Amino acid sequence: MVTTVTERQTGTWEDVFSTQAGAVYQCDAESCWYINFAGKVAKFDYRCLQKLKKAVYHIDIEAKLLDSSKDPDVEIIFICACDHTYILTLLQIIELKELLQGTFVMLQLNNILHDKLYRTAV
Amino acid sequence: MKDLIRIKSLLSTEVEDLLNQQVKKEALSSSIYLAMASWCNRNGFDYSSEYFFKQAEEERHHQLKFYKYILDMGGNAISPEVTGIKQEYNSFREVFEDALEQEISVTQSIKKIYARCLNEQDYVTNEFLNWFLKEQREEEYKARRALELFEIIGEEGTGSWEIDKHVGKIKYDSEAN
Repeated sequence: MVTTVTERQTGTWEDVFSTQAGAVYQCDAESCWYINFAGKVAKFDYRCLQKLKKAVYHIDIEAKLLDSSKDPDVEIIFICACDHTYILTLLQIIELKELLQGTFVMLQLNNILHDKLYRTAV
Repeated sequence: MKDLIRIKSLLSTEVEDLLNQQVKKEALSSSIYLAMASWCNRNGFDYSSEYFFKQAEEERHHQLKFYKYILDMGGNAISPEVTGIKQEYNSFREVFEDALEQEISVTQSIKKIYARCLNEQDYVTNEFLNWFLKEQREEEYKARRALELFEIIGEEGTGSWEIDKHVGKIKYDSEAN
């Protein structure tokens, strides 16, 4: 499920990763993530976050950079079964990809920390 | 901060993608065997046709096994699109050559997933894949044995008829099994 919220409800969100272009927060109580990007804050559950990752990672940025046609330099990221769409310029796509890459590295790091700190048999 | 990703799914995105690719590969195999069954039946090789019908069923069963595993582990199983199935063959032998190639390609792709899982220490999926690795021994043996029949019987005279009869009897009951 994806919903757009206008402002951050402080206290329940934890920073996952941020860049100058945006930020990702995790909300444990709701088991979801909030992405602040392109002027809005959107809520993503696990499934939708995976779908967003797949959609963004599959965009061939190099091909788009080399594309000399007169089509507008805009990509629509529509995530199936999520009532949410991003309409981004090429620069924003690069920024979103960077944000997501950093986010998933941090989530992986969190997984490693959980394994080492809480899940290891003593 | 909770480890939400791990709570939701046992599979990493990379392994989930590979497993979904395997679902597609098994579906493709099933369709290829179905086309082979049709070709053999149309050309009078009834035993081989039956053999390929059974193989198609088996591949479908493998596909569902992968599919359900992905879902059981919290992943997203994707129903594959299967197109471009070869319908015509130049010879009886070519059908079996293609069948062996198909099995080799399935073995290689399972090995690739296995290697990725080892790399990630995903031993749970490795254990699941063990069944398939054993199954591939039988699949490759049967496909190789069928091609061997062409060598030892030969297609001259009633050779093709003889080969067809023997294809129906191929079994893997070695002590190594």
